Amino acid sequence: MADEKPDIARLVDEAAKAIGLPIALEYRANVLVNYERSLAIAQPLLEVELDDELTPAPVFRP
Amino acid sequence: MSDALSKQATASDIARAVMSGKAKAVSVVEAALTRIETSEAMINAFTDVLAERARKRAAEIDSGRHRGPLMGVPFAVKNLFDIKGLPTRAGSKINLDGPKAERDGALVRKLEAAGAILVGGLNMGEYAYDFTGENAHYGPSRNPHDPTRMTGGSSGGSGAAVAAGEIPLALGSDTNGSIRVPSSLCGLFGLKPTYGRLSRAGSFPFVDAFDHLGPIARSVEDLALSFDAMQGWDPDDPVCTDRPSEPTLTELNEGIGRLRIAVAGDYFVQGAEPEALEAVATVAKALGVSRTIVIPQAATARSAAYVITAIEGSQLHLPRLRTRPQDFDPDTRERFMAGALLPGAWYVKAQRFRRHYRAQVQKLFGEVDIILAPATPCTAPKLGQVMMKLGGVDLPVRANLGLYTQPISFIGLPVVVAPLQRPGGLPIGVQIIANHYKEAAALRVARHLEKQGVASAPPA
Repeated sequence: MADEKPDIARLVDEAAKAIGLPIALEYRANVLVNYERSLAIAQPLLEVELDDELTPAPVFRP
Repeated sequence: MSDALSKQATASDIARAVMSGKAKAVSVVEAALTRIETSEAMINAFTDVLAERARKRAAEIDSGRHRGPLMGVPFAVKNLFDIKGLPTRAGSKINLDGPKAERDGALVRKLEAAGAILVGGLNMGEYAYDFTGENAHYGPSRNPHDPTRMTGGSSGGSGAAVAAGEIPLALGSDTNGSIRVPSSLCGLFGLKPTYGRLSRAGSFPFVDAFDHLGPIARSVEDLALSFDAMQGWDPDDPVCTDRPSEPTLTELNEGIGRLRIAVAGDYFVQGAEPEALEAVATVAKALGVSRTIVIPQAATARSAAYVITAIEGSQLHLPRLRTRPQDFDPDTRERFMAGALLPGAWYVKAQRFRRHYRAQVQKLFGEVDIILAPATPCTAPKLGQVMMKLGGVDLPVRANLGLYTQPISFIGLPVVVAPLQRPGGLPIGVQIIANHYKEAAALRVARHLEKQGVASAPPA
């Protein structure tokens, strides 16, 4: 289901394994808090729709 | 003009005095070293004091060498700048085990070529992932206006050292607000130039897509003086512009003339405490500005800036997160770890949105030349404070002090922070935002406010 809340703990544990980043137990709870926070802050970006033609500039020139 | 040996002296005061022979560079440096020794127990701005190097350089200047517009001006740099002979800490414990820099960073060399004298390296939040100025390894830099409060970060030592009058000029870096936040909370003028305007060669990176370097000072003239000395193409930084230098000092006093100025509404009002909005209103009134404009999708810009920062910054530190997690500051470690696990698709989308947002904001600059916005949503929080109330909502201090700076640096716009003193209260800054490469316009507006007595640094 699209609106089902992701299992952040499992996501973090598996992603950490996939990239070879050991996360000690004493750090894990706060990593989860920060991942949740990132998910919340990223929402406006995740919700915006972009045209297919809109490509990122390889070197950003203002 | 202040006595060149006093803590109120600006860089321009000192340079004029040394140039005219009214003061000796060695005396200026001795006075600065004495102030540093006196103040450090309270404000903890410096991690490295280069007394012998500074004395030697000062003696050379007094013997007629290194003449330039910043003659005899003592300055210090956030410790992510390379300083020859020292490991580049970047606020970390880990980097102390790294190699010693073989030469000074590009901007240090440029300022010294203009006659300035490096006196030390300054405290900062670990790896610049910080808006508070706190640091678990070296202790927090403390706000000279109330040492129980934050300086703001991550260029916290830069803000503290200048606000305390230890030195008149410091360099910082600004990825999401790290020059502008301490400038606001410490009551100083700060300049985050256009992305790519100043070379970043010889500085420890954080997020290449957004990293900027720039000055913090007690006067607008000092920003212009140092900015002009630091401009110029540098092949060692692939992002550094090859546009010709555009001196700003010569036109600093030309006034605001026909500049079209507006206040940013919408996102830049939401969540602001009354003191932040009052500061913007005071500046707008002084400039005769009544127009409000909306920077479209600023909230999405902040979101995208956050994502790019988290992913780029974490990727940079991934090898160290794997091997030395126990040596990180606890306040950065788990944020970096979480960032390393965010989806790559978010990053690419954020970079695509960045191009779109840049185009939208460029359209706005067809209508206005300058946009005013709060620099921080509030005055300096207490040291150690984790949460704060913004607009009645409890939010983490670390993620939200840069609420209003992130959407601006996201597309590399130049900004001058102008500080306002608040009788009986702590200072706060206003962002004066210009279009790309229009630093001169933002500086002129800040100078106009300074001349009117609206913007000023509180006495050191």
